[in-house]
Amino acid sequence: MHILIVEDDEVARDHLAKALREVGHTVDVAADGLAGLHMASSIAIDLAIVDRMLPKLDGLALVQSLRATGRKLPVLILSALGEVDDRITGLKAGGDDYLTKPYHVAELLARVDALARRGESGNAETSTKLKLADLELDRMTRRVTRDGKKIELTAREFQLLEFMMRHSGQVVTRTMLLEGVWDYHFDPQTNVIDVHISRLRQAIDKDFDKPLLHTVRGAGYSLREDE
Amino acid sequence: VDAARLTDAARLRPRRAAVSPDQRFLGILDTSPFRIAIAYSIAFACGAALLIGGVDFAVSRVVDSSTDNLIDAEVQGLREQVLVLSRNDFIELIEQRSQDQDVRGAVYLMVDPQLRPVAGNVPAWPTKPDSDDGKWIQFKVAVPYGDETREHEMRARRFKLPGGYDMLVGHDVQERQDVKNLMMRGLIAAVVLTLLLGLGGGFWMGRRILAQAGAISAVATQIMRGDLSQRLPVRDADDEINTLAREINTMLDRIEQLTLGMRTVLDSAAHDLRTPLNRLQSTAEGAMSQVTPGSPERRVLERVSVEVDHMRSTLDALLRIALAETGTVAREAVSLSELVASMVELYAPVSEERGITLESAVAEGAQVQGSRQLLAQALANLLDNAIKFTPEGGRIRVSLLTPAAGPEVVVEDNGPGIPADKREIVLGRRVRLDQARKVPGSGLGLSLVAAVTKLHGARLVLDDAAPGLRVSLKF
Repeated sequence: MHILIVEDDEVARDHLAKALREVGHTVDVAADGLAGLHMASSIAIDLAIVDRMLPKLDGLALVQSLRATGRKLPVLILSALGEVDDRITGLKAGGDDYLTKPYHVAELLARVDALARRGESGNAETSTKLKLADLELDRMTRRVTRDGKKIELTAREFQLLEFMMRHSGQVVTRTMLLEGVWDYHFDPQTNVIDVHISRLRQAIDKDFDKPLLHTVRGAGYSLREDE
Repeated sequence: VDAARLTDAARLRPRRAAVSPDQRFLGILDTSPFRIAIAYSIAFACGAALLIGGVDFAVSRVVDSSTDNLIDAEVQGLREQVLVLSRNDFIELIEQRSQDQDVRGAVYLMVDPQLRPVAGNVPAWPTKPDSDDGKWIQFKVAVPYGDETREHEMRARRFKLPGGYDMLVGHDVQERQDVKNLMMRGLIAAVVLTLLLGLGGGFWMGRRILAQAGAISAVATQIMRGDLSQRLPVRDADDEINTLAREINTMLDRIEQLTLGMRTVLDSAAHDLRTPLNRLQSTAEGAMSQVTPGSPERRVLERVSVEVDHMRSTLDALLRIALAETGTVAREAVSLSELVASMVELYAPVSEERGITLESAVAEGAQVQGSRQLLAQALANLLDNAIKFTPEGGRIRVSLLTPAAGPEVVVEDNGPGIPADKREIVLGRRVRLDQARKVPGSGLGLSLVAAVTKLHGARLVLDDAAPGLRVSLKF
């Protein structure tokens, strides 16, 4: 995938570019807003990572101009501001996701991955049935089966599984889960998400040989068929 | 308290309805100008009544006594005449006087023992007088007035004549009565008019004040919701309300400047701290991928990364506290019921895992204006704290109550609690009581709760749950 990084902080930019290249992406970089906008408009780019505060052209203005020209590419906004409602302004300006500095590379990679797949798996958003190996989830009847056997889930466990299945094969971080399933943007002091995940794991993996819900060390969780 | 009852209470609680015309009318009656106007009207009306009453009393005293003196003199004269005149001469004298046009309004009547008129200008002996105190008698007589007749009030004295005859000597007091009546009507009209004018004026001024006060309180509400660009409406007049509004607006300009300044400082502080932290994190993680897992270098880098994480959460907490304290956070309608229920649901598995019972009673339909994320963070901090300090086998209870005064969120635990004399102190920044030092945490949790509570115009109360801590957020 071709990714554009618009970031004025050289150290962060270089590390980010390196990390993205390591996982196989093609990366272009720009150090200010104007250069970033120029590159985003002239090169075929699949995804942009834009710092919010940039010289020459502000990150939000960049995203707005990009959206004004009809470019629909996913944009991840990086911010070093005070957040809470800055996040809302960032998403309103046309950003698809918002990450506050300092971030973990794993968190950023997971979010880039999620944004990238969102475009290609457009039908997964709308299809009523989600399927992974022998695990099936029906959004209409709210029924979950594995190997044909019905699995009883609470409403929240169902939501959690639905989110994991929509992101199957990807790494999903704890903050992504808290945001995506609960719509909360804070980091709890206690491991609340881990316990929810372990309950879900009990429900879907306990009685079966092949586990589907995996822990990814230092990053989060992943729902996938082990190869 | 059971959840069903709480739910009922929520349903019974009246919603704040739009102001009906009736309430507006009653509102005007409550305004100070209206009350002042009414008080003054009543005072003026009483004054007018006293004044006119006094004048009327004085005038009638003077007029009455002069009439009475006149009649007394006449009676005295006639008593003397009757002794010296024959009956027929006396009758003639009476007839003469009755017809004398110079003595206006004088009335005479002489009757025989059967009360039949013998002489005088009164058609009949008054058998049903208006008043009769033995000496003075008052009665009405029909007096011709062009084609019609009018009843005139007469005041007279009577006395016995020799031979069983009776004599009545008096005066027409109708004119005086007319003046009196006129004055009385004037008095009543004046009182009624004063009251009406006072009522009308008070109502008008009350409506004006209410409109101005309403506009001011609407703007004040918006300002309290964080929209600092709002200003009070000012009319082109120099009355005290407009002067006050102008001064408040100047004050608001200043507050807005200061708050925006604080927000800018906050944003640059955030930027200047997050950027190097981010470099540190990126560098550490970049280097980590270069070294073999488990090596001493790797452990050092991991340590760095963990410390950056700690610094980040402390920084996040500090920035959120500062942001909440500037009051510039965007607000929206937040369903407190949904929020509390979902936070309880979020924390239920982790407390169960630690052997703590998490109970909840959440009333439905509670809503506040504010920041959902900050409220969630505050509630999360309270629950994190409760879970941290409640021993295994303990109990945490989360309730959302909706008394008429406004919703109240209560988090109770049966952990060690906070001693009464330390409850105020823990709300300050970075205070951790000695017994808490062994538990991880930044010590900013309750400060953030306090700042968020203040931002929402709510009250934070720490109390004894006997045993344990009871934290209440009263909106």
